[in-house]
Amino acid sequence: MAATTTENEYVTLESSDGFQFIIHREAAMLSGTVRNMLSSAGQFTESTEGVIHFRDIKAVILEKVCKYWYYKARHLNSVTEIPHFEIEPEYVLETLMAADFLDT
Amino acid sequence: MSRRNRGGANTTFVNNVRGPTSALTSFLNERGIRRANPAPAPAPPPQAPTATVGEEEEEEEGEDEEQSSAASSTPPTRTTRLTRGRTIVTTTVATSSRVSRSESAKKDGDNQDVNKEDGGNDDDDGDDDDDDDDEDYKVQRTSVRISIRSTRASSSSAASSSKAAASKADATSSKKRPRKKDSLSDSDNPEDKDFHDITGYVQRSNFSHKGRMPQGSNKIEFCSRCRARFTIRAGTKPAVDEDTGGLLCPTCAGSPSPAPSSDQKARPVKRLRRKIQKVEIENQIPSLQDLCIKKIANCIEDVEAFGDISDISLDKICRIISRNRSLSDETVRLFLDPRHYDMSLYDCTEITPVGFKNIAYLCPKLRSLKLKFCGRINDAVMSLYASHLTQLTSLSLIGPILVTEATYIKFFEAVENGFEKFELKHSARFSLKTLKALCENCPNLTCLRLGDCNMMDDEWIEPIAGLTKLRSLRIRNPGRGRLTTEPVVKLIQAVGSGLEELELKGCVDLEDAILVDAIRPCCVRLERLNIAGCELLTTEAVENLFKDWSTNRGLNYVNLENCILVGDEALKALTSHSAETLETLSIKGLDELTKEALLTIARCENLTTLDASWCRAMDDDVMKEIMDSAPKLMNVDVWGDHRLTECCVSRKGMKIVGREGDYLDLKFI
Repeated sequence: MAATTTENEYVTLESSDGFQFIIHREAAMLSGTVRNMLSSAGQFTESTEGVIHFRDIKAVILEKVCKYWYYKARHLNSVTEIPHFEIEPEYVLETLMAADFLDT
Repeated sequence: MSRRNRGGANTTFVNNVRGPTSALTSFLNERGIRRANPAPAPAPPPQAPTATVGEEEEEEEGEDEEQSSAASSTPPTRTTRLTRGRTIVTTTVATSSRVSRSESAKKDGDNQDVNKEDGGNDDDDGDDDDDDDDEDYKVQRTSVRISIRSTRASSSSAASSSKAAASKADATSSKKRPRKKDSLSDSDNPEDKDFHDITGYVQRSNFSHKGRMPQGSNKIEFCSRCRARFTIRAGTKPAVDEDTGGLLCPTCAGSPSPAPSSDQKARPVKRLRRKIQKVEIENQIPSLQDLCIKKIANCIEDVEAFGDISDISLDKICRIISRNRSLSDETVRLFLDPRHYDMSLYDCTEITPVGFKNIAYLCPKLRSLKLKFCGRINDAVMSLYASHLTQLTSLSLIGPILVTEATYIKFFEAVENGFEKFELKHSARFSLKTLKALCENCPNLTCLRLGDCNMMDDEWIEPIAGLTKLRSLRIRNPGRGRLTTEPVVKLIQAVGSGLEELELKGCVDLEDAILVDAIRPCCVRLERLNIAGCELLTTEAVENLFKDWSTNRGLNYVNLENCILVGDEALKALTSHSAETLETLSIKGLDELTKEALLTIARCENLTTLDASWCRAMDDDVMKEIMDSAPKLMNVDVWGDHRLTECCVSRKGMKIVGREGDYLDLKFI
């Protein structure tokens, strides 16, 4: 079990323009869509290899989403005041669409 | 569901599935209320009638073991051995009587189980037939199929059922000895009806698939090791666990290690934790979607900041914002642009009259406007639309509760000839007068959709009949007793020749004449037909509609949802008439369809969407057949099809929604 945890500690998310984001599995699991992809019972490549390609999400947006996941993961159980998560207006619509897709 | 029950107590047997009883069932059991016994009252038992209840219960238990293939060890070995000799003699008769009785009472199952060990519970129904009954007929522990038939076919023949077994079963059914005689004598049909009254049970189709099933049909069993449900194909023998004697599913039979069971147990806990976690998260940190929407609302002043957005993504964003119920006077301005011709707002709950007016001011070129849940739209707004939106040809309003009669009339007078499409749902103020105004002022209407209009009745039909250019007509849920057959037949005879789409969903009072006298001769161009919920339509009528309907080239959308009288022949006629064209088919709730008819769906090669929920004869074989013949099939709904297991084949991109097995785990979390 220990071997598999270290192996699966990170997942790789690839954006439409080829950027790879290697992030903690725990953080990625905050997305309903990613969670389903990684934990579905079947032998899907996503769940076996831990690599997910998002053909509709650009790197800028995916980076924003990853940041949000870490932001959420960090402040998940915090009792202090949570800082504001800043989104640039020029990306907000695309981020919204990506967030809707990722169930975040 | 069965697997979760660890308590052993308070269990019932339904379709080979064991689980906790419902609140109602336990209540009824507690009060000693139960359905009457359809079988005639049995005569006294041959063995000593003075036997105590406790002993009899143990006998029952022993007998169960006798029938089961399981070698589970239950404590009362003495009585088991004692009764074994006797039960061997009376096994067949005992089962027949028990079946007939158990149709009514589930109580015995409960009482038996209280005394049973868990292990025994899980393993002992190895021989049991699976049950195809409607949910109200709960046949438990039927080991002799033929005996079921005989009891169903003629209850008088069941009178010959052994006295011993019947009365014994009855003794176990109620622990209170004194009550026994009463319950026996009470068990007539009147009580039967009373039971239905108590439970609010509605008689649907009073028959069983069991009799209609081909002899060699598949059985569904539960694996004794991993507890997964699996199908035993007709004529094959499933693998048997050497240790416990229970049946094994193909997966477990292939891998002899009992390792997966530990996995299975670990899962629900994990899920539970996750769910709690999720709730916590949602309380604290807003979702990214909410953050984005808030940002949009804040930055709405300078829309340029968002950059160029294509119409498709704009519509997508509109749907997302609507889904979050965040479409307000501020956010709606994102979608207001003088260049737009079409506008659809999917949830206008939060938009005030000012926001609605802005639509007319900022988008004067609108041709098509669709407003869902527009409860706050009022007369002033409608008047403004009438005067400002001069190019409007299509208007769709869902829930405009404030708009009055006079305003509708003024609006229709203003839009006049150009108006082509009008949709109105959930309006209590739309009256015959306004409908007449619509039909007189807008003779070029091609699409008319009226749903849930409280004032709709037979008189509304006449003005609609004057709209000769109609291509699409939808009348939905007019209310019981409001819309009768005769006027609708006349309407379809008047406008039917042009109709490409006809929806009469929820017109509950329509009779067969609609199909035979109106649709069949008139609707030659019809492509989409929706007669969902027309409960009075019969199999013969639907069959007559589709049989040799050469004037129509075939439908691509048919919805027969909840036409409860429709049976096999109707579906066969439909699938042979529209075999090549049919793309969407809904046969939800057609309980009486058998496997034979369902297999004819395989003729429809272009099928993309199928809703076969609550068609209880649907099983893995039929699904495979349909899937193999329809390569474009993408969406299948199978809610309540209990013969369909998770083993049923699927393919990439195909969605099967509602499979019972997929939800077994989630149920108790």
